[in-house]
Amino acid sequence: MISASHLTKSYGSTRAVDDLSFEVRPGVVTGFLGPNGSGKSTTMRMVMGLDRPDSGTVTIGGRRFADLHWPLREVGALLEAKALHPGRSAANHLLSMAQTNSIPRTRVDEVLELVGLESVARRKVGKFSLGMSQRLGIASALLGDPGVLLFDEPVNGLDPEGILWVRTLLQGLAAEGRTILVSSHLMSEMALTATDLVVIGRGQLIADTTVADFIASNTEATVLVRSPRPEELAAALRSAGAGVVPGPDGGLLVTGLDAAAIGDTAHASGLVLHELSPQHASLEEVFMDLTADMVDYHGHTAVEVAP
Amino acid sequence: MTTTTVSSTRATPLPGIDHGRAGLANQIRSEWTKLRSVRSTWICLAVIVVGSIGLSALVSNIEAGRWATLGIVDRAQFDPVRFSLTGEFLSQFVVGVLGALVITSEYATGSIRTTLSTTSRRTTVLAAKLLVIGAVVLVVSEVTSFASFFTGQVVLLAHGGKALPAGSTIIDQVRSSTIPVVSITSAGAARAVFLAGVYLLLLTLLACGLGFILRHTAGAISAFVGILLVLPLVVDILPSSFSSSFERYLPSNLGLAMVVVTTRKTDFAGVLLTPWAAAGLLALYTAVVIVVATVLLVRRDA
Repeated sequence: MISASHLTKSYGSTRAVDDLSFEVRPGVVTGFLGPNGSGKSTTMRMVMGLDRPDSGTVTIGGRRFADLHWPLREVGALLEAKALHPGRSAANHLLSMAQTNSIPRTRVDEVLELVGLESVARRKVGKFSLGMSQRLGIASALLGDPGVLLFDEPVNGLDPEGILWVRTLLQGLAAEGRTILVSSHLMSEMALTATDLVVIGRGQLIADTTVADFIASNTEATVLVRSPRPEELAAALRSAGAGVVPGPDGGLLVTGLDAAAIGDTAHASGLVLHELSPQHASLEEVFMDLTADMVDYHGHTAVEVAP
Repeated sequence: MTTTTVSSTRATPLPGIDHGRAGLANQIRSEWTKLRSVRSTWICLAVIVVGSIGLSALVSNIEAGRWATLGIVDRAQFDPVRFSLTGEFLSQFVVGVLGALVITSEYATGSIRTTLSTTSRRTTVLAAKLLVIGAVVLVVSEVTSFASFFTGQVVLLAHGGKALPAGSTIIDQVRSSTIPVVSITSAGAARAVFLAGVYLLLLTLLACGLGFILRHTAGAISAFVGILLVLPLVVDILPSSFSSSFERYLPSNLGLAMVVVTTRKTDFAGVLLTPWAAAGLLALYTAVVIVVATVLLVRRDA
């Protein structure tokens, strides 16, 4: 369990995190979403006691980081995969961490095997690819067998096989009753991995909910219909109270009426339908819609977001 | 790299600990692992050992060759102890790099955040780093210092040098026809050789403290070199009435004072502090830097 309460943090005149409160429950994977610069990493650093909040508190299992007696055994974190001394071997890196919390040496070999790095354990981490560094970062987070785990962009640099592996791993860890907070900018991946969501923008909480609720409550139900006589159908639907806009390839996107009501309306008007399909927004689309005005750094090519 | 399928996250559950906390002994073990597992540590230590003993042999050899041609003043200043400890000048910069890198390499890579997330008391990280690098440098410096001393004396003996009888004065040295060789038991010799190692220890801790404060390798090493090399130049261009009263408190001159054999003091008489006072003052400087480093480490965001 991670509880953040009214967390606020500024760097100079920039407010990185602004009165942020949320809870991360054990047993499920919680996705931590926000555009670049929205305060995700800052929040994670505050959870780990690395940055001090200007005000507010954050606790791990009810205790602040500063009150943990064996921190690595309580909370594991992958914050920056490449934050390693390039000249040290993976095994020695993990051993140096294990020793800080009286974690037996055998556990080092176990976590290396767990992440599939046992064959390169003696190799210098400076020669590791980003994907291998991510695996080493995951190994170090798991070293103390902690009940709370934080992962900042864990699938960066991983191949599709590696991404699938991380997804399976995170869900397995959650199923064991652990608390998992994982940030990612890959929405489609998050939709597959996470059950709960914490969404922030410009340091403020946008949503603290489940993936399913987040999508449902932030999209208007839309139905795509096609008819050989679209103008007449549009008029009929509008008079029945629906909103109608042109859709792709001559179709119509209808809001305000569900598929059944649209079918009935068409039938009553004597119109033929060639397609009648409810549209499901993806997490990515909902996220982009919701945070469009909160992105601090964006390119100049406008992105058309389909409803 | 092959991918292994994950069935469970723990081959065997990690036995829990319900007493105590992650403390200094843990951090010391960890710091030792970190120190010994990077090549730069061993390169720095090898440079200290080989460089010091080599310079001792080289300089003692050159000075022994000059003895026959030296005048009275030069013979009076002939200091076999100092010749054998010439390597200290090189070693002081090597230990500066070593001391700074212990912490600045972690800031450079970002691994400081990993280190600080292993303990809820940041001061144990600083204490462990100082203890581990300090212990390693002290052992290596003392062994090197004594080895350099004996190497230098052996070189002088090989040139036909002889130890002056106990109780000999500078006058005896000037009048002697043979190259003077110093015994470790002669007055001030053992102290000078021992304090040469202590000087390197204190500089290591000073550089480590600077590293904690500046959090940047180049910055910390520049500051360290500035204190040892640039500060004396700055003081030197001040009015001499002013600089002459300050010179003796400069860290570089404290280092010199620590290795001067006072019974043989000639050109340094009255200019330098006594060896133990110099060691004490340098320790005080180091302590001040470490206190500042501790306060900043605890207060600043990582």
